[in-house]
Amino acid sequence: MSDEHSPEYYKKKFIPLIYLVGGILIVGTIITFAADKMGIAERWGFVNAIIFAMSVAVVKASAVIYIFMHLKWDIKLKTISLTLGCTVIFFIGMMWLTVGSEIDSNKPGHSDNTWNHVTEPEPETAPETK
Amino acid sequence: MEIPYYDKERPDTGLYNGKAGIWLFLASEVMLFGALFSAYVLLRVGAEPGTWSMGLMNQWVGAFNTLILIASSATIVMAWVCLKLNDWKGFRKWKWATVIFAFTFLVVKWSYEWPAKFTHYDVTFVTEESASKVYTDVLGPEFSETQSKIWQERFDPLKKDQEKSPLAQVKLKDKPLDGHIVGYIDSDGVEHEVGAAWGIPFWSHAFAWRHDRKNIEKEKDKSIRYGEDGRPVYKEGHFRDTFRDKDIKAIIFVPAHGTWDREEKHAGSGAIKYAEAKHDAGHAHSEGHGHTITIAREDISRLSSYEPAHSTFFATYYTLTGLHALHVLGGILVMLYHLLPVSRRVYEKNPVQFTNRIEITGLFWHFVDLVWIFLFPILYLL
Repeated sequence: MSDEHSPEYYKKKFIPLIYLVGGILIVGTIITFAADKMGIAERWGFVNAIIFAMSVAVVKASAVIYIFMHLKWDIKLKTISLTLGCTVIFFIGMMWLTVGSEIDSNKPGHSDNTWNHVTEPEPETAPETK
Repeated sequence: MEIPYYDKERPDTGLYNGKAGIWLFLASEVMLFGALFSAYVLLRVGAEPGTWSMGLMNQWVGAFNTLILIASSATIVMAWVCLKLNDWKGFRKWKWATVIFAFTFLVVKWSYEWPAKFTHYDVTFVTEESASKVYTDVLGPEFSETQSKIWQERFDPLKKDQEKSPLAQVKLKDKPLDGHIVGYIDSDGVEHEVGAAWGIPFWSHAFAWRHDRKNIEKEKDKSIRYGEDGRPVYKEGHFRDTFRDKDIKAIIFVPAHGTWDREEKHAGSGAIKYAEAKHDAGHAHSEGHGHTITIAREDISRLSSYEPAHSTFFATYYTLTGLHALHVLGGILVMLYHLLPVSRRVYEKNPVQFTNRIEITGLFWHFVDLVWIFLFPILYLL
């Protein structure tokens, strides 16, 4: 944390926050695990199950970054916010390169030629000779 | 010469230099793991049906390790808070707790989870007849039907209505029978037990890799010496100890957890333990009775343990979890350094400098936790 706090702050404010984040992480893990065991992919569909599990993971990750990694206090610092911002943009772009290309190849009217190189070529018929 | 250390925050960044450095490092780490996550998504989406065997993951172990890492993330913050409160004893207590949690994570991964995979083998068959011979004639029609369903759960674990899965159309010969190899029968009909080291059978590539590196002849420049057949030359008395190079007519095999029916009709005591299976192999076993079966070599089209070469899934699984585990190991080494007497001297000389070091280590450790937060649902659940 960039700001200095009094010992009282750490004892009365920060340590309870640590327990709170720990609780969020444990509950989040249990929720994801239980949802998988209950077969949410079958009930809600595969895509919704992924969105649900990733949403829980994002909540958990946000709690870690915000409190454990002190972003709550440090986000106002340009060095950190710029570094994080660039990283997030890069990460989203990188994921879109792969996921987006796959989605594009599955659009109606757009033939997927991803695996054409592994299929056997059609045998060419010899030209008829007179 | 003493390296100067500036514990004051710079006016332009608002951070002390070490903290600015660790954030830039973590950004590069996001790009490293981001590239791997991205590759995983592409491979997963593009995988042919019946080739993504994520149903083999032990979810309970994955969940346990997740909770362990979460606990370590909380304890390392507590260690840092203790330093802020000038509580050295409290710092050591929480730091040791973090090291123990981290070490537990690695022990579970490297001494249980991975070796358990190296001892499991998949067998696929040459023809429908040879597959049918094992599945139906030897194990019985009831087993065949149950196994078939369990096999689909492996590749399509999220699909509960297995009848509607496209995997239902996959031929029997391509459905892997999974289990343990406990021995083999040579061309003279003599039975041999399969040895193992640290729970890894000699046939596993993981073992062969260690075995190979020690016993291959080297050239003067320390490169591997190759024979006229293009294969590495082994020191006298040594040879590549793999399935392909042994005199094997048939393997003695134990259908194992997941493959065997879960209602325990056949297994008796449920999951068959490796030691128990080895015990069986030492006794006369008739096909279809008891735990062991023999599968002729000529009927096997592929035999592979759950190692990286098994499939694209396991290759990505070991790459992602292996790289993550190396980060955990690196974190443990740094944290142990902070528990050495030299760290006490640094703390007494400059408490702010040492507290900053702990904060930086903590930031790295939280990143390791963050990576696992995403790895767990992706690799184990979805």
